[in-house]
Formats: sequence, structure tokens, C-alpha cells
Amino acid sequence: MIRLPRAATALLALVAGFVALLLYGPLFVAIFFSFFRLERNAVRWDSFSFDAYGALVQNEGIIEAIGNTLIVGGAAVALSLIIGTLLAFHYHGGRSRAREVLQFIIFLPFLMPPIITGLALLIFFREADIPRSLVTVVIGHTVFVLVLVYRIVLARLQSLPPSLVEASLDLGASRWQTFRHVLAPSLTSALISAAILAFALSFDETLITLLVTGTSSTLPMRLWAMMRMGFTPDINALVTVILAGSTALSLLALRFVKPPRALE
Amino acid sequence: MPSGRAVTTETVGVDRRGGAAVDPYRLVVTILAYALPIVFILVPLAMFLVQSFYHVEDGRIVRDLTLVNYERFFTAAAFLPVFVRTCALALGVAAITVALAYPVAFLLASLEGRRKYALTLVFVIPLLMSYIIKIYAIRSILGGNGFLNRILLYLGVIDQPVTFLIFNLNAVLLTLSVILLPFAILPIFVALERIPRNILDASADLGASSWRTFRSIIWPLGLQGTVIGASFTFMLALGDFVTPQMVGGTSGFTFGRIIYSQFGFAFNWPFGAALSVVLLVVVMIAIVLAGRLSRPGHPS
Repeated sequence: MIRLPRAATALLALVAGFVALLLYGPLFVAIFFSFFRLERNAVRWDSFSFDAYGALVQNEGIIEAIGNTLIVGGAAVALSLIIGTLLAFHYHGGRSRAREVLQFIIFLPFLMPPIITGLALLIFFREADIPRSLVTVVIGHTVFVLVLVYRIVLARLQSLPPSLVEASLDLGASRWQTFRHVLAPSLTSALISAAILAFALSFDETLITLLVTGTSSTLPMRLWAMMRMGFTPDINALVTVILAGSTALSLLALRFVKPPRALE
Repeated sequence: MPSGRAVTTETVGVDRRGGAAVDPYRLVVTILAYALPIVFILVPLAMFLVQSFYHVEDGRIVRDLTLVNYERFFTAAAFLPVFVRTCALALGVAAITVALAYPVAFLLASLEGRRKYALTLVFVIPLLMSYIIKIYAIRSILGGNGFLNRILLYLGVIDQPVTFLIFNLNAVLLTLSVILLPFAILPIFVALERIPRNILDASADLGASSWRTFRSIIWPLGLQGTVIGASFTFMLALGDFVTPQMVGGTSGFTFGRIIYSQFGFAFNWPFGAALSVVLLVVVMIAIVLAGRLSRPGHPS
């Protein structure tokens, strides 16, 4: 981008290294202590074991929380894909003031601190007499991840040449056939990456979930409850498992998101 | 929702461009497209605003519109100081994250090819990593019995564990800064990436030094991304209530925690809603200011 003096590049690299250390260091410490034990301020190098992971499998609370997280994530992804795609098609269909307003509404949960979105939904559920449960959590997550799906699908729609649809219609295909055979195939990779990213966001969502959930807890909430008790090896084990999962998800998502041309 | 219905019909009218036949698919799509966001985003927000004008009497919510909640916020001694402190905290987080994120984004933008792609991933992937896990990991490092203290003790730098790093506002500031860093890196990187290279080449050809090019071209053109990054981290730090609770202890009380407690044991929803409205107003002011600051054509 700009030819930098050697010293400046070195300085930038130093800061970047420090930032990487801040971002990853704490995580590696947690992973490390899921395998090793500490005794009197020193690491017992001979204490390597998978015991903490064994304890995890036997913890029913955690198994249930993982189940809840997957259910909520799956449902939120399905709903946000359907609604987000619908909204993207609607927005793409023409220009009007109403469409701009609609787009702004979808963006609101992303523009406001999560606590506001969570509280607004909490008050709404009580006023509407909807008891708090996993259903309300699903609604909360869907509202939160919707804009992501919407943006990704819309970006793909806008990148398609309009002549594609026109040609299909001119050749006598119905609207549905055009969608099924022309648009859907070009949307697939966008939908997959949107689904993975939406799932990753839902998997991790904590602030809204805490406000709108009933008695059943998702993984982040279960973790929160465990962490208030203190540090145990099985928390570190759970942390390691989750990190492995989210890293795999991000890498998977990136396979489907084409890197911008500048990055290729 | 009479207003919602009016909007819907109007758009359907616009949509049927000259078509004589009513297209039922289009109609259903349009109605759904408007109904869902209105019901699940706009209506809850409206209810939330209205709730802030209710009040609680004898443990029950009275549905008369009053300003008592707002009056209490401005007059009771307990709330304003915490509010001001939380705003300062969020500003601190925004400053720290942008100060650290800018060099990183700059480095990423100046790289080429596969190296750039790989390094960008390194700094973007933490965005998708569990928020609560990061808090936990950082807490286990900062704590009195934590990793940092153990290292310092081991190295003989200190002979007593230091305690000023955990369960106070410093801890909240540090933890939030680390967690929110990627939110600042990404928009700054995107902004710097968009700067056309030929402008930079022209600047160099005309004899400008690297510093001059940075000051007169890169900084003003990247300003919008920088401001977006700062407002992102400011907003997320301002409303957080889990981080302060995990690492803040009793002295690290923040506005988000006060709001959250109104919906828990304090059980005063209308007051909690009013406090959140105050928070929202600050966020909106911040967004407007950010928009002003970063408007292109106003280089500082």
C-alpha cells in the first residue's frame, strides 16, 4: 500500500505481535491448563491427562446445555435464512422509501447495544404473555443474526447481472422456475456462508440470551454459571472444546466466503 | 399496528409495475417482509420506550405515563456518577482499541498476497470466538492467583501477588479492550484497503515523504473506518453487563450492571427501561457525532 521505512514496518509488526498475544495468549493458557495441573505455583509437567475431558462427558448439565445450544442455533439459522432471503429479495425488487425504512429496522438490533435489544424483547414477551423459554431465545437470536444473512444474500443478489433473470423470463420460464434454476444455484454458497456465520454468532450469543431465557440454559450461560464458582479443570476442558468448534466453524465459513480480490 | 399496514399496502401498489394480474406470491412476500421485522423489532422497541414511562408501586407496575423514572435518575445521588464513569470507561475502551487496532490494520493493508490473507484471518477469527470464554481466560490471567501474578512472582519482580488488576474498573477496562479489539481492527482494515493505490503512488512520485503521505492521504481517507471502529467498541463497552460482573467485583460497578439488576432482584422494569433509554440516547449521540467527524470532504 505504501512503501514504509524499515523501522516503521518493524514497529507495526511489534504492535501486531503484541495484539495477537493479547487475543490468543489467554486462550492458550486456558487450553494448557485443561491438560496440566498446577501445584504450588509450578506446572506439574508429568500431570498430562484427559481426565478433565472425561469429567465433561459425565456432566449432564453441560450435555443438556450443548443440546439446547444446537437446537437454538439450528432454529435461529433456519428462520434467519428464510426471513433474511425473503427480505433481501424484497429489497432487491425495486426502490422505494418503504424499503429503506425496512432495511433500517432490520439493522437496528445491530446498531444498538445488545442489552437494549434483549430488554425490548423481554418486555415485549411479557406484554404479549409469551412465557420465557427456548422459543423466546430462538426469536432473540433470529432478530440478532437476521441482518447478517440479509446483507450476505443481498450482496450476492446485487452482484448478479440483471440480464440473467431477464433472459430466463424472456425464454419463457416462470418466476418460480427462474428462482429455482437461475437464482438459487448462484445463491447457494452465499447461503451456506451466511448459515455458518449465523450459527457461530448464535452459538456465542450471551447478553440477549441472558435476558430472554427461561429456566433452560445454553452453553455460554452454563459456562457463566460454572465460572462464577471458580476455576476447575473441566471448565478449561469445555473451553478447549468450544474453541476448537468455533475455529473449525470460522475456517469452514471462510472456505465459502470468497476472499476479496485484493486478498487473493 | 395501523401504520404498519398502511406502509405495506402502499408498497404493494408500487410493486405491481403495470401488471394487470395480482401476483399472489409477491403479495405474500411483501406482507411477510414487513410484518416480521415490525412485530419482532419495532413493536418491542416501542413497548420498551413506553415501559420507561410506567412506574412501580408496591411491587406492581402502574401503567400511567409519568416521568418519575427519569427524575429519579437525574436526582438520586447513586446513578449519575456511575453513568458518567461508565461513559468514561467506554471512551477509554474505544481509545485503547483504536490505538492498538490502527497499527495492526495498517500492517495488514500494507502486506501482499497469501501473507496478507493469512494474517487477516488471525485477527478476524477472534470475532467468532466465544465472548464468555475470553472473559474467563483473561480473568484467570489477571487474578490474584492468576497466571500473570505467578509469572511475576516466579521471576522475582514482585514478592506479593498484585491485586490492582482484578475486581475493579481497571480490570473491566483491560478485559473489554482485549475482547473488543477485533471489532476495531476490521473496519479500519476495510477502510485502509479501499484507498486506491494510484493516489499513494502519485503522492510518492510528487516527492511526499511516507509521513506526509500518511498525514495528508491515508489518515483522512481511513478516518471513516477508524471512527466506525471506535463507535463500535464504545457502544459495545457501554452496554456490557457480563464483563463488569465477571471481573469488576464490587468496585467495578457499571451502568449496564445497574440496568440488569433492575430486571433481576431489584425488580423495577420501568426504571430499568428508563435507564436503558438514557443509554440509548448516548449511543445515538455518539453515532451522530461519529457521522459528523468522519464525513468525507472534511479532512482535519
